[in-house]
This record gives sequence, C-alpha cells and structure tokens, in this order.
Amino acid sequence: MRLPGVDPSKPPPGPFRADFWRSPLRGPWLTAVLGLVLLIGLPIVIITGLLSNDAYQPGLSFSNALGRNVNGPLDFYLFGWPTSPTWLYALTQGLHVTIGLALFPVVLAKLWSVIPRLFEWPPVRTPAHALERLSLALLVGGALFEFATGILNIQYWYVFPFFFTQAHYYGAWVFIGAFLVHVTLKFGTMRRSLKTRRELLDVVPEVGVNPSERSLVAVRPAQATMSRRALLGTVGAGALLLGLQGAGQSIGGPFRALALLLPRGRVRPGPLGFPVNKTAIAAGISAADVGANWRVMLVGKRAVSLSREQLLALPQHSYDLPIACVEGWSTTQRWSGVRLGDLASLCGVHGRATLSTRSLDPGTFGRASLGHEQVADDRSLLALRVNGLDLSPDHGYPARVISPAVPGDHCTKWVTMMTFTPVPE
Amino acid sequence: MTRPGELLQRFRALYGAGPLHLIALLVSFAIAAAAVVGWFDRPRDVVSVLIWFAAAAVLHDVVLLPFYSLLDRIAFGPRRARIDAERRARAVNPTPYFRIPAILSGLLLLTFFPVIFGFGAQSELLASGIRESGYLARWLLATGVIFALSGLAYARAIRASAAALRRTRPSPGGSPPPP
Repeated sequence: MRLPGVDPSKPPPGPFRADFWRSPLRGPWLTAVLGLVLLIGLPIVIITGLLSNDAYQPGLSFSNALGRNVNGPLDFYLFGWPTSPTWLYALTQGLHVTIGLALFPVVLAKLWSVIPRLFEWPPVRTPAHALERLSLALLVGGALFEFATGILNIQYWYVFPFFFTQAHYYGAWVFIGAFLVHVTLKFGTMRRSLKTRRELLDVVPEVGVNPSERSLVAVRPAQATMSRRALLGTVGAGALLLGLQGAGQSIGGPFRALALLLPRGRVRPGPLGFPVNKTAIAAGISAADVGANWRVMLVGKRAVSLSREQLLALPQHSYDLPIACVEGWSTTQRWSGVRLGDLASLCGVHGRATLSTRSLDPGTFGRASLGHEQVADDRSLLALRVNGLDLSPDHGYPARVISPAVPGDHCTKWVTMMTFTPVPE
Repeated sequence: MTRPGELLQRFRALYGAGPLHLIALLVSFAIAAAAVVGWFDRPRDVVSVLIWFAAAAVLHDVVLLPFYSLLDRIAFGPRRARIDAERRARAVNPTPYFRIPAILSGLLLLTFFPVIFGFGAQSELLASGIRESGYLARWLLATGVIFALSGLAYARAIRASAAALRRTRPSPGGSPPPP
C-alpha cells in the first residue's frame, strides 16, 4: 500500500528519521518490562473501577446512576452489592486510586519508550497497519484521558467542562477495548522481547526479533548516562511515591499523613474531625432546617413522621463502619443509631425492600438508593451519633444513613425522607 | 473456483495481516463506538469529552514529552555526558544522582500541581471544610528530602569506589589488605 506523495525511503527530517532518537536505553526489553508491569497492574485498576460502578447499583434508581442511562450496551452491572466485609468498598476503591496513581509513572515511561513509533515512516504501510495505529490512538488517548481526569478529580480541580463520572466510565470502555486488542496483538512480542535482555540485539539482530521490534533500538545511540536498571528503579521509586499518597488516604489513621500531597492527607482536629465529602454550608443546610421542627418521613405501607427525640427513643445499635469515598479515601468510625430494618417495620414494610433516601441537600448526591442486601443488614443504620457524640452539622445532623461497604455517596446526610419499597423474594 | 487457502492468501496480501487481526480491531472499535453512544447520555458534554480525549494524547506526545526531553537534554545532555566520560575514569558518575531526584520531583509536580498551586482549593473547602494551603512548601520539602537522599547515596558511592581503588592499588610497603 503506497500513500500518494509518501516515499518510504525518504522520511522528512526530524523525528521521522531513525537517527533522531538517541537514547541508548530504548529497546524491546525495556518496553516489554514496562508492558508486563502494566499488564499486571491495569487489570486491577479496570476491575476495581467496574466494581465501583457495581457498588453504586445504578440499576436501582436514576440518582444512583448519577444521571446516566443504564440501558446502553456498556451499562451493565452484574450483581447486587454485598455488605460484608464492611471494608469491601474501601478496599476496592482504595486499590483503584492507589494502583492507578502508582501506574501513572509506568504509563509515562512506557510511552517514552515507544515514542519513536509515533513517527515511523512511512506512516501507513498496509490497511492492517492503519487500523492498528488507529487502535493505538484510542489506547493512548484512553489511558491518558482516564489518568488525567482521575488525577484531577481526586484533587478537586474540576477544570473539565463535563460530568466526571460519566466521562470517566465510558472513557474507561474506550481504553478497555483498545487494551484488550493491544494485549492480544503484542503479548507474543512482549514474551520474546523479555528474553532479549542484553544488547545481543545489536550483535545478532535476527534472533527472534522482527524488524519492527528492532526499530526501538537507537541506530546512533548517544553516550549512556544512566543504566536501564537505574531507569526502572526511578520508575519504581516514582510509583512508590505516588502509591503512598493513595495508600495513606485510603488506610487512614496514622498512615493518613503519608498522603502529604493529597487534600485527604489532612483532617480537622477532635473526635468529629474525620473527613467529610460535603460540608453543611456547601449543601445549603440552615440551622432552621435541622432545628426542633426537623422530622424524618418514613414511607412504606403507611407514612410515619419521626422527630430526633423519637428516633433516639427507638432501640439504638453501634457499629464500626467505614465511609469510603469514590475518590479513594476512607475513614472508619463508631456509628450509633436505629436499624434501617426497624424503620422499615415501623412503616409497615416487612421482608425484602429497597430504600431510597432524600436529603435536605438539593444537590446531585442528595438522593440515593440502597439495595435489599443493605436494608436487611443489621449494621445499616440511620445514625444519630458518632464516636459517642451527637452528629455535627457537617456529618449530617440530625440523622444520616450509614451502611456497610457502600460508596460514601450513598450514606445520605441530613435525611428528610426514606421510602421503603418491597421487592419480590 | 478458489480454494480457502488461496482466499486467505489474497486477503493477507490486500489487508496486510490475517482475518483475526481485523476481527479483533473491529471489536475494539465497536466498544469505542458504544462508549461514544454512552457519552451522548449528556449531549452537551460530548464535544468537550472528545476534545479532552484527543488533547490528552496530543498534549502528551507533542508537548509534554518533547518538553521534558528538552529539559533533560539541557541539564544532562551531550556536554554533561562528555564531562561525565572524563570523570568516570577516576570517580563515580554524578549524573544519575542529580537526574533521578529531578525526575521524581518533576513527577510529583506533574501529578499534584493542582493541589500544589491550590487550583482546587475552593471546591476542597466546600467539600471538606479544610482550607487548602501549604502544599507548595510540602512539595519543596519533599524535593529537598529526595535530593538529600540522593546526595547521601552519592557520598556512599564515592566512598565505596575510593575504598575499591585503595584495595586494587595497595600503598608500597603497607600491610596487605585483610582477607
């Protein structure tokens, strides 16, 4: 296949010429090692990301899907979300953000190692080659889009003009499709290249190495100023530095301070200083809203309205439960309040039921739905107190939902209405 | 009548690879197309998402990578390498001990610049109630610690190489090195 005006033997000057690329470190072995790390790490990020979509239970309600259509070809979720272990979502989402951060320098190094290929000449050899390059554009664009939006989002810099969750979810699918093809087409190359550890390539170029793989090796290398091992060590140190940021904000406690460059490395002082995802001020909650006139309306077979005093008079239960944010931070505290199951009985709903809650907060996260697994779990509470104290305004006073292993967004604060809907057994 | 083998050969000649190659790529494009359909759930977002998608790849390949390569070349390029080559004859090559901490510090800056420069401070205050400040100092401190550790490693390497030199060239009349 010849493109008009393209002479395969005469590349334009600059990066299209083979002798433009001087680093002696580039070569199939380096690329293969970085590729192997990504082949192991990226599936963890992908799977935990899809599990997070599952944990939000988008099929339960429009608000859980955060405004997404849930009937498209890529909008599936496989099962209801379990309530045990309580730290399940803290773990999966902590891994998603921590491994994602740690792989960022690996992705950058991998792209650096193959950058001469972007300028290969002729740009297109065959239809197969053209399609493969198009797929690589989706692979690289998808990876960088996902890393960029994810990394900006955990730093609260909402500079992107689109809605994060939706863009990040479908962007992931573009990447997943291209990643699967890339692994399929390149797995053999990676395995062969891992065996070519030494600079044998220059001496015996024909041993199991096809010319396109060889093209990563500089034809006129500059003097080496650092070894390949040192480069890999640097990438590893970078992965560790970034991973510690994610791990610190996820594990919390004394480790939280490790996240010294993330907003969630800090907490406010005191027993109620643990992190919140939205302050009362941001949610527009006024003192009058949550004063003596506040009631929670329970809706089931009948409607019941309860004051905070009436809630406190019901049987109280205490559990250590985490709040785990989609941003990858989590915090475990001792919550006390009324079981969701008891509240369902009060309004005449017995047996399996889902719950949708409404908050005084009119924003996107002011509504959420929990599945019947969550409602039936004894540890799911309408919490009134935490760590032995009344909730503070920022933690959802007068009452908030807390449920094991659900995303923090679903632990609705400043609850004003709870609707229990029976579901068939 | 053409035999299947012949057909396959003609396909390969025309396409440049086997039919499975084509099928695998078409599956991936179909998934990408479905994702674009998904983005249309919020029609007003689609254009900006696509722009960001393309910009992510272009900015990396055409701006970020050439930029950091240039910085590296200015700091540790051929002139530096020549000096290193002269030094290597007698001591430890110092370049990696500057370059590696510089890369790590740059990586932290690239990843966390929104926090370091407080770009998300307003949204963070609304979310967490914490006023975001002091991250520039934290990054500078981290950079200082990384360079200091590298300096220690450099000092150790120099001492080790000096010790190795003494072992290979024992001073005349001195006691033999311990076994």
